[in-house]
Amino acid sequence: MKNEKLGSGESGLETAISYMLIVGVITSLLLEIAGIILLYRSYGNLAISQDARVFIRGRDFFTFIYQQFTGSHPAGPGILLMTAGIIALILTPYLRVVASAIYFGVEKNVKYLVITLFVLIVVTLSLTLH
Amino acid sequence: MLNMVSLGVLSIFVGFLGSLTGLGGASILIPVLVLFGIPVKEAIASGMVAIIATSSGSASSFVRERITNVKVAMYLEMFTISGAIVGATITTIIRPTFLYFFFAAFLLTAFLRFRHALKEFMPSPAQDRFSRWLGLHGSYFDRYTGQVVEYKVNNSLLGGLGMLVAGLAAGMLGIGAGAFKVTVQENVLRIPPKVSSATSNFIIGMTALAGVSVYLFSGLLNITLMAPMAVGTTLGAVVGGRLLNRFSNKALRVLFFVIVAYLIVQMVYKGIASL
Repeated sequence: MKNEKLGSGESGLETAISYMLIVGVITSLLLEIAGIILLYRSYGNLAISQDARVFIRGRDFFTFIYQQFTGSHPAGPGILLMTAGIIALILTPYLRVVASAIYFGVEKNVKYLVITLFVLIVVTLSLTLH
Repeated sequence: MLNMVSLGVLSIFVGFLGSLTGLGGASILIPVLVLFGIPVKEAIASGMVAIIATSSGSASSFVRERITNVKVAMYLEMFTISGAIVGATITTIIRPTFLYFFFAAFLLTAFLRFRHALKEFMPSPAQDRFSRWLGLHGSYFDRYTGQVVEYKVNNSLLGGLGMLVAGLAAGMLGIGAGAFKVTVQENVLRIPPKVSSATSNFIIGMTALAGVSVYLFSGLLNITLMAPMAVGTTLGAVVGGRLLNRFSNKALRVLFFVIVAYLIVQMVYKGIASL
């Protein structure tokens, strides 16, 4: 298994990240396609809307995710699925940084744990503070 | 007027062209959306979301094959995300007129890849102290030559600053800025071309996330725009990647020049018209 010694040397991390990326993207695209089909069945057209309900709104990203699962959805199930697809897409690179931080933590690689945590904290603050 | 189906089909075509020319889907799609009357800021914000899909999808296989250097990516992402957050914040507050001109100007950096493509890459035998302290080195198996290529990263601080500029442009214009990132990685950081492309693809997804985090609640992220763009550009990029080897280099180069020239003219025209 020559390849396992290559790259930056983090073979377990790389395998995990590779699967996280592809699963995240495929999940997201399937949700988008299902949402578009449902939207067509509900409204009979697929116009690009400027209705306030098709814009992502909220106070912070994580509260926004919570609201999608708990609140009412006046725009219908099509928009809800498409929104879930966008959430899956945004979470894909986010979760791979979380996985990297856990990996470097377990490996006790303090230097890269600090670097990864910097990236994670900055993006989390940017997703949260509005 | 565009609807989600026509935008999806258009995005497949643009994703295909973006993959063939190396420009990326968003660099072409944003000017096209502007042509169809979509507000430039909305097109930029939606472009950032589509980028997460195309770059993460294509980055996956490079990571699995150990061509991407995850440590280099994590280090450089500190700079690109900081730049992207600043860039996206600027976009939310400046006049759209400036964005047309900035977009046209940054498209010129796409020509950089031709300059360095002519030179043979020479790995750096030595390494500066900071890069060594960061442990920035690696190796990959080159299927073309059948050899393991080892490399040492250099000039990490200067390369980081270059990535700050790349992130700023990406966040501001809703694009991946891949050509610029690859140029910095090859010429400043002395990373081999294949590792540069793979690592750049990987970084682009995170940089786009940082840009999106600013646009999230700015009222610019339209779900009916983002969904067909993300699906279409990703499918187009997959098809483009598979068919890339069937085109001659000359045909791809002509296609590249025609598209970039058209996009620059269109954005400059739009900028002048909006003065």
